Formats: sequence, structure tokens, C-alpha cells
Amino acid sequence: MTLVKEAPARPAGKRSAAPAAGRRGRRRENLAGYLFMSPWIAGFLLLTAGPMIASLYYAFTSYNLFTPPKWVGLDNFTTMFQDPRWQKSVEVTLKYVVVATPLKLLLALGVALLLAQSRRGQGLYRAAFYMPSLIGASVSVGFVWRALFSDDAIVDRTQKIFGLDVGGWIGNPDYVIHALVALSIWQFGAPMVIFLAGLKQVPRELYEAAEVDGAGPLRRFWNITLPMISPVLFFNVLLESIHAFQVFGSAYVVSDTRCGPADATLVYTCYLYQKGFKEAQMGFASAMAWTLVVAVALVTAVLFWSQKKWVHYEEAAK
Amino acid sequence: MGTSRNVERRTILKAAGASAATLGLAATTGCGGDSGSGDGTVTLRYAWWGGEPRTIAIKKTIALFEKKYPKVKIKPEFTDYEAFWEKFQTQASGGNPPDVFQNAVGFLRKYDKRGVLMDLKTQADAGNLSLENFRNGVLANGQVDGKQIGIPVGANTMALVIDLKAFKKAGVEAKMGWTWDEYFDTLQTIQDKAKIAGDTGYFSIMYLYDLYLRQNGKAFFTDADLGFTEDDLTQWWEDGYKRVRSGLVADPKKVEQVKPKSALSAGLAAGEFTWDNFSIRYEGEGESDYGLAPIPTTDGKNTGQYLGSLMLSAFSGTKHPKEVAQFIDFMVHDPEVGKIMGYDRGILATTEQYEAFTPTDDNNKGVKAYEEEVAAAGVLGKITPHPSGADVIEAAFLRLGGEVAQGKTKPADAAKALFSEAKAAFAG
Repeated sequence: MTLVKEAPARPAGKRSAAPAAGRRGRRRENLAGYLFMSPWIAGFLLLTAGPMIASLYYAFTSYNLFTPPKWVGLDNFTTMFQDPRWQKSVEVTLKYVVVATPLKLLLALGVALLLAQSRRGQGLYRAAFYMPSLIGASVSVGFVWRALFSDDAIVDRTQKIFGLDVGGWIGNPDYVIHALVALSIWQFGAPMVIFLAGLKQVPRELYEAAEVDGAGPLRRFWNITLPMISPVLFFNVLLESIHAFQVFGSAYVVSDTRCGPADATLVYTCYLYQKGFKEAQMGFASAMAWTLVVAVALVTAVLFWSQKKWVHYEEAAK
Repeated sequence: MGTSRNVERRTILKAAGASAATLGLAATTGCGGDSGSGDGTVTLRYAWWGGEPRTIAIKKTIALFEKKYPKVKIKPEFTDYEAFWEKFQTQASGGNPPDVFQNAVGFLRKYDKRGVLMDLKTQADAGNLSLENFRNGVLANGQVDGKQIGIPVGANTMALVIDLKAFKKAGVEAKMGWTWDEYFDTLQTIQDKAKIAGDTGYFSIMYLYDLYLRQNGKAFFTDADLGFTEDDLTQWWEDGYKRVRSGLVADPKKVEQVKPKSALSAGLAAGEFTWDNFSIRYEGEGESDYGLAPIPTTDGKNTGQYLGSLMLSAFSGTKHPKEVAQFIDFMVHDPEVGKIMGYDRGILATTEQYEAFTPTDDNNKGVKAYEEEVAAAGVLGKITPHPSGADVIEAAFLRLGGEVAQGKTKPADAAKALFSEAKAAFAG
């Protein structure tokens, strides 16, 4: 910066060429930067930002893909809020988020605590526990899940030993959501890795000091570990709940594409998909999408607001 | 900033430029998929839904066509029923549907209204496609408001597919002209003696309810609306739910879990209502022997049946209307094609194909005998209209019937929901 400022004061000569070249160079460098970013920028504008803005407009129209969208104001939203299937989809999704997210994080934290201790073969254990997260989102696992939880399959037979006969979870509207929750929990690898990283950051001397003062393991966990990893916990809660709101693939595959039986796995995005791509009510589907965006933003805002009360940042403590 | 890094940057820039150029080139060639080429060869996209046997047969017929018309190449696209229509809707809305595709009665008005379907009468007038020799008046199935937007490839009708072993074990028989009361009595006997449910869930099938309504002087659809009342449907579903609870109809929870297999071939019930040409699937899927039985009646005679059709339709905006018409003409009239396809899409629609194919296996023989029996009984009526949105309503009927069966929705509420969803579907 200084070089550039001083440049005009210098007499014209050989040396003045350098700063000018520098400026040009920097501009060229920026250009190169943008050039490298251009595929991403183009992709973002064309495939993400553009469609998002378009769908915001469609949310206020009646649009069947064939005839031009017709402005209907807030009609889609009023119809939506009164639509019993929409209400059902909200109910199913909330149930899923509220049950699956905490359970998944609990399991992730539990396993992370176990794996944080140094022992032989720990790399192997970590890889093994992380594995389901890599394959869990795939369609084939959805099929496997459907098979596992069906009538007379392994889960059903195991249950029967304990005298619980529900005739398979997949066909039972009261149980099938639990199969989805189980599938979500099983993929606890990503939050687990983040918890592990957080646990490694906790200074050893805090534990040593606590031990000297006679604090037991529970007390150490409650008063040291939990506050120290609360930023990581916050991050995981945020990420996993946003993720859970958008669940689609598992519900779609496990229910054999119908999100049933009796709409029991009709998660929000599945209803959105049915409205948009099966019934071609793109206006309604767009209104649903934007309602979800606002709802997730609100949940995020509430979480951020709540963190003042329970998330401990070390800088603040000093 | 050293010179070496400058050089490096320049090299990278060049490389980036080069790859961008290649990408651009690739993009151009990618978009260059025009359906015509220099030597006058024309490529048509042909799409259908159906199972593996249909795909194998159709591919053989395509090869036959390409041999006869060396200047026309056919690009096949196939998938299952639901995915087909999702994909078709997206393609059609983008102005890029296949040139020729399989179609069904429930979709004609919807896509006619959206301007997607070609009126093939003009091509017939031009001499590229013959509208002669269609059997039993099925050509009318492809007509809407005086336009010929679908050409039938086959004729089918609803039937009751039964597990022959289970019926034998229970010592019961299905007779032409039997009444619903006799049908449900039979289910009771099957339950008592063969220890399985008699029916897979009749009350969720829109096309069966249509027959029931037709027996009673109504129909599922009128020109632009539903042809029955909420009370009618509430009654239908209340009776259905009663029969689920008494075990005459298979447990919906079990039916759900054997999907995509049918509950009949999975051995959960002794009978299922479906289109007669679908009966081939049961032989492949299940372990019992299956046969076609008559539709129960209200008055002891009228089954309410009619001949439906799968058809071929053409895209109104195709660049090669003449070749498309020639292709359809070949597919519906050529005797060799008839021999290859058999009754997979229903009894062959034209006399040329019907006479060329003699069924030898039990399944095709059964379909033929069934339709002859139905025709001889003189019960075949005229098909009633299917307004735009019929497809969405069929799906809603199936779903809501399933909710009733599961005991999750009261019949009256489900009927109310169907009427409200139908209103939206007609408007769409």
C-alpha cells in the first residue's frame, strides 16, 4: 500500500514502472481470481440464486408449469395453512426433528467420550463408527432399512421374543416414523467427529485440578467437559436440527416413494415434492419451500439467542 | 511477487482458458443433439412405462421398424409408471417431451389441455397413418373433442385376479353375473376354509369403484366433475373398513410391507381387482396359480365394464410428424409387432395384429378367454370421460382409501378430503 501511495511523488523514470505494473498485476490477479471462481459463481447464480428468486415469485402465483404463472397474492399460504395434509407434514417433521436430533447428538457425544480415551486401535474404532454416516444417505441403505423393519424381518422377530408384536414397523403408521428416527441416529458419525475434536481441546489441567479437589467423573463431566464443549454442542445442535428439517431421502425410500402408510412419513419436503412434481402445483410448492426457509431461520435465530444462556466461550470468561 | 510465480500464474491462466474452451466445445457438441443429420436420418425419442418383459418386447419391435425404415432411428426411454409421468411432466413443460410415447385414458385431457398432444387425424389424412381395422370401436378411446390424440395399441378391461389354489381349497367358485353379496359371502368362506383374506383392498381402487358406480347408473367422472356424492363414497369406504376389520380384506399393514410386490402374489389374499393384462405379473411374482374371474354385479347381470386402452401419442411440437405417424402406424398395424407384443398391453387393438397372434401360454390364453367371455355376456359399455386431473384423483383415491383401511382417517373425512383434492386437481 505504501508503495502505491508514494509512487506519484517520485520522479518519472525507470523505477516508476514497477508500482504501475504492481497495480496492473493486482488487477490481473483479481481477474484471475474471479476467473477461477467463475464456474462456482455461474453455478450459484444460475442454479441456486436464480431459482430461489424465481420460486419466491412463484410462491405468490398459481403455476402448473405449462400455463404462465398467475398472480394470486397470499392464496397459496392461506390454502396451505388450512390444508390438513400440510398440517400433517408439519406434525411429522416436528416429531422427527424433536426426537431424532437430541437422540443422535446424545449417541454421538457418548461414543465420542468413549473414543476420546487413548487406547489401542482407536483409529479403527473411529473409522468404524463414522462409516454409517458415509453410506447412510444412500438409497440402498433406505432399501436395507425397509427390509430390516418389515414384517417378519430381523427387528420384528427380535421384538417378538420380548412379546412385542407390531407386525413390522414399515406398514404400521404408528411405528414407521421410529424406523426413520433410527436411521437418522445410526448416522451419528459427523457430529461425533466434531465432538471428538471439541473434547481434545479441553485442557487436561482442569481435570487434574478438579480431581485434586475430589470431583468425581460425573461432576467433572458436568462442570468441566460440558461447559468446555458447549460451543461445539451448539454447533452440532444447530447443524443437525437444520439438517433434520430437510429430511427427504430416507422417508421417500423407506416408504416405497409414497411417504406413507397413511401419510405417517409425510415429511415436509416429501409433501413439497408431491405437490410440485406429482400434482404440478408449483406455486403451492414454492410457498411451502419459503415457509420452510423462514421456519428454519426462526429456529436458528432462537438457538443463537439461547446460546447466551448456555454456551460458554472461553474469551468471555476471561 | 517473484517472476517465477508470475510465470506460474500465466501458465495456470492459460490452462484455465484452455479447459474453459474445451468445456465450451463440449457444451456445444452436447447441445448439438439435433434429431436430424446430414444424410437425412431422423431420430425419434420413444418413451413408455412398464416392466422388464414389455421393455424386451418393445425393443424387438423397434429393431423391426428400423429395418423397414432405415432412415429413422428410435431412441428408447423407459421407466416405471410413476416415474414416467413425473419425468414426462417435467420434459413436456420444458417443451422437450419424447416424440412418441405410451399414453393412457386418464392423461389425455390433461395433456390435450396443455397443448402437448398432436391431433393424429391430420397425419391420417395425409396417408401416413391408418385409422382402419380397430376392433370393438377402441379407436374412440383416443378421441377427445373430435381430435385423435391417442392411437390404441391394445384393449383391456378390469378383472378379478384370483388365487386358484386358494379358491379350490375353500371350495368356492366365481361365476359370471355374481352379485357383491355373493362375492363377500365367498370371501367369508375363503377366510373360514383357506384361512386367508379374500381381497387385497378393493375399495381403494378408483377403476373398480367406477365399475360399481356404472352398475348403479352413475360413473366416477362426468365431463368435468366427480359423478358421485360424498355420501356415496363414505358408504363405500365404511363398508370397506368394516371388511378390513373382519379380516375379509387383507391387513393393510402387511399389504404395505410387501410393496412393490402385490398382496395377491405375496399370498396375503386370494383375489385382487386389476386390469386383465396385468395378470401376467402374478405368475412371475407369486407361487400359486392365478386366473381371471368376473367382476361382481349389483343386479346379477351388469358388470359395468368397458374396454380401456393403452395408446401411443405424439408430441404436438415434434420436428418429424410424418415419421412419428409412420412409426405409430407400424406399431399398431404390423402383424409381426403383434406377434412379439402379445397381450402385454391388452388384447391387440387392430385386426391385423389380433389375427397374427395366437396365444399359446396360459396367461395370454386366459386374457383372451376372459375378454371373449365378457364380450359374449354383452356387458361391455362405453367408456365414460376422464377429465383433466383424473390421474391426480386416482392417486388421491388410493392414498385416502389406504388411510381408511389403516383406521387413521374416518370414511366421512376421507371422502371430504377426496372432494376437496379433486376440486384442486380439476382446476390445475
